[in-house]
Amino acid sequence: MNNMNPFVKPELSKPTCMEMLQTILDDEATDDQKKYFKAHMDQCMPCYKSYDLDMSIKQLLQSKCCGGDAPQDLVEKIKVQMAQTKFI
Amino acid sequence: MELEETPKQHYSDKEKSEIFNGEFMPHIHSMYNFGYRLTLDRDDAKDLVQDTYLKAYRFIESFQKGTNAKAWLFRILKNSFINDYRKKSKEPNKVDYQEVETYYNSEDVDRQITPDLRVESLKDMIGDEISNALNSLDVDFRTVIILCDLEGFKYEEMAKILDIPIGTVRSRLHRARNLLKEKLSEYAKSMGYNKA
Repeated sequence: MNNMNPFVKPELSKPTCMEMLQTILDDEATDDQKKYFKAHMDQCMPCYKSYDLDMSIKQLLQSKCCGGDAPQDLVEKIKVQMAQTKFI
Repeated sequence: MELEETPKQHYSDKEKSEIFNGEFMPHIHSMYNFGYRLTLDRDDAKDLVQDTYLKAYRFIESFQKGTNAKAWLFRILKNSFINDYRKKSKEPNKVDYQEVETYYNSEDVDRQITPDLRVESLKDMIGDEISNALNSLDVDFRTVIILCDLEGFKYEEMAKILDIPIGTVRSRLHRARNLLKEKLSEYAKSMGYNKA
């Protein structure tokens, strides 16, 4: 079974649920790993719950903490500064 | 000045201007947000971003055209923050990061610390709760969350931006997520959500 788990690396032991979940959350999973984890979640309630919670937090962060646009006066200042700067 | 280990490029003034406007300026909004999340002050963020762009412009020949401009700029901003702003940081109780990392590397923090935080309680966090929770984290933990969750950087890029090994990026992210959940859990409790 271990051989079929795409999260297993040759030199390491079988990854824990937490390790698999982090790879997914951090968006570092391969397509095979995503597929495997999706199937795994169907049989692992703690993983399903953690995934649901962690993804909700991630989405909340993205919707609330991205901050919108930089102030226009900052953009203008940089452009002016660039025009005045001599390259070294 | 050490920004990137690529050999020095040679660009005409026209090319420099094209790189600056075409590859650097499109990241201004992400850069400002990063600056704000680091300094927690909008004026400081402006100064930090302006300073970063000035450095990027001056050292443009250390940048290889067409490569990862966003990561390159983020790295300069992060270094400027550490060198120029962190010293005069308004954050109280400056913490020795090594101490923090050692503490949070202990077994204690790896337990499931937030059994009472539920998805339903997050749905009611429509105000500044998540932003405040993020801002309350120690800057090193805050940074990895910003880079990964807000900006979508990969481990390898984060390792270069922060000058730390990939393994450290991964473990720091893990701990940062736990700390954030702990903080959100406190908000959930204060909003009247009982333990599950």
